[in-house]
Amino acid sequence: MTASSGARTITYSRAITEALDEEMARDERVVVLGEDVGRMGGIFGATPGLYEKYGADRVIDTPISEMFIVGGAVGLAITGLRPVAELQFADFIVNAADETLSKMSKWRYMHGGQFRVPMVLRMPEGATGGGGAEHSLCPEALMLSYPGAHIVVPSTPADAKGLLKAAIRDDNPVGFFEHKALYATRGAVPDDPDFVVPIGKADIKREGTDVTVIAWGRAVHWALAAADLAATDGTSVEVLDTRGLRPLDTDAIFASIEKTGRVVIAQEAPRTGGGASEISAVIAENVIDLLEGPIKRIGAMDVPIPQNPALEALVMPTPADIHLAVKELVG
Amino acid sequence: MTDPKTKLDIYRTMVLAQSWEQALMRLIDENLAPASYHPGRGSEGSEVACTMALRESDYLLYDHRGMAHIIAKGVPLVGLFGDFLGNELGTTRGYGAGIVHVADPDRGVLGQSGTLGGSQLIAAGAALSAKIRKTDQVTMCFFGDGAANRGTFHEAANAAGAWKLPLVFVVQNNGWAVSVPTEYSTGGAFVDRANGYGFPGVAVDGQNPFEVHDVAVEAVERARNGGGPTLIEVKTVRLLGHYLGDPQAYREAAERSTSATRDPIVWARAALKESGEATEEQLSAIEAEAIEQVEAAREQALAGAKPTADVLTEYLYV
Repeated sequence: MTASSGARTITYSRAITEALDEEMARDERVVVLGEDVGRMGGIFGATPGLYEKYGADRVIDTPISEMFIVGGAVGLAITGLRPVAELQFADFIVNAADETLSKMSKWRYMHGGQFRVPMVLRMPEGATGGGGAEHSLCPEALMLSYPGAHIVVPSTPADAKGLLKAAIRDDNPVGFFEHKALYATRGAVPDDPDFVVPIGKADIKREGTDVTVIAWGRAVHWALAAADLAATDGTSVEVLDTRGLRPLDTDAIFASIEKTGRVVIAQEAPRTGGGASEISAVIAENVIDLLEGPIKRIGAMDVPIPQNPALEALVMPTPADIHLAVKELVG
Repeated sequence: MTDPKTKLDIYRTMVLAQSWEQALMRLIDENLAPASYHPGRGSEGSEVACTMALRESDYLLYDHRGMAHIIAKGVPLVGLFGDFLGNELGTTRGYGAGIVHVADPDRGVLGQSGTLGGSQLIAAGAALSAKIRKTDQVTMCFFGDGAANRGTFHEAANAAGAWKLPLVFVVQNNGWAVSVPTEYSTGGAFVDRANGYGFPGVAVDGQNPFEVHDVAVEAVERARNGGGPTLIEVKTVRLLGHYLGDPQAYREAAERSTSATRDPIVWARAALKESGEATEEQLSAIEAEAIEQVEAAREQALAGAKPTADVLTEYLYV
């Protein structure tokens, strides 16, 4: 395919690999570290070939030491490198909580701006059938109450590649959540090696006029499926992908609500205390007068994710849940 | 062996740190600085003698007790006073005040993890960074016997041992983790842990800073020449409380008076005189000069402006 035609169809995981490869080739300060990211190519196959291409000094298989992975990456970042660290499962953020929420997020601020912490922390997230209560979470909102790092959650291969490249080039620390169930999904990705997606800009994944469904990560796909279901009722749903939680593109959110007057917020994390709660509050504080009905939140049940895949499926939100919320809003 | 000139430099820097701390305590008495401070009296021998084995381009992760390692790394005194006064002249531009996060990237001072032990991981990262970038920089990481018992130490020491990182761990064992005695809280000796991670450990008496310096020089050279990490356990003393104003009811009077006889500054002064390496006049001149230097810095720092609300978000995101 030529550069002018501009795009290829690749998987989400291939998009991650390409982003890492291109940025490592562009900037020798970029290094990758984490458990099994080197010789194995990543437990979810997101880093194959990098070890062979860039060597053990730049693609580092770490011990099973999450505090070191994140704290060590902070040490790399404040001494001239641009690490992309990986926690093998996003759930492990609590195994490196102080390093992530305090060291990575606050080092610059605590020291009066004397340092920059240009690092990305990749965290494969989500329930994919049988991972259980400690390998299935989408803990993005954990970072929300700790200012200092961006929170990015791509939903498509193009966003995964463009946002990861932007995150690596950004001088701020970035928590980068990749959904495990999306790794095998395919989509068109621009060929341009400088294709980046700006962090903090929402994307309208489907235009509509009656109800706005706000989502990020895998829930974007549930929202799109719900929009298909709603279309059969004659309801036009707009799907707004926030692409993350911080910075939050409130302009895009308010503009969409101004058009539709109705809003559903869908997330995979349990309903309570997630990104949807924060976005609900922001909407209520700012544009409640534009709403024709209550703000609806969709999320997983407020229980630990059961290990049994059949029970897990019962806990997870579905496109039907979102569709039902849309129907309630349009009456 | 530490040469006579270096010995005098060590003494000069210890005295400077002591004078600086005394001046800070006066600022606290005068209500010009917040009272949250962990006095370093007693640990100057360890902090100065180890840090002076480093070059300016080497990295330092200091600990929360005293400022002698930071002063030995060459951070200007005005900046340190500014940090405690919480004004724009501080190294962190007024963000600190109290138990501060001093930072001086140009001198390799990489800041402090307020949750103790966190610095061990950042130090391992800085040492890995030097290895990846193929510089010959060494990282030195100080922590107390208390923070040595955090899991962070295990993860940092294991990575450092596995990859032979240019890293020197300095465990300042003063016998107390706040109010808990080391022998109650710790299984085995800190120095013995090093072997378990595949690198050498050396125990040394912190009352004798010249011996500490010998040990530190050897460890730093080993790290610089690709020989990997070293753990130095310095047996030191805490002459004052965990924090300023700590009544220390948990310490026996006898233990406190034994500690008081192990002051490294007093010891070094006597040793230098006894060996003929310094005269009374030289030592007195060093002490007077330190006070002068500290006073000048104090005066200058007091003139700094306090930060205002407009800086609150300035350093959050780039």
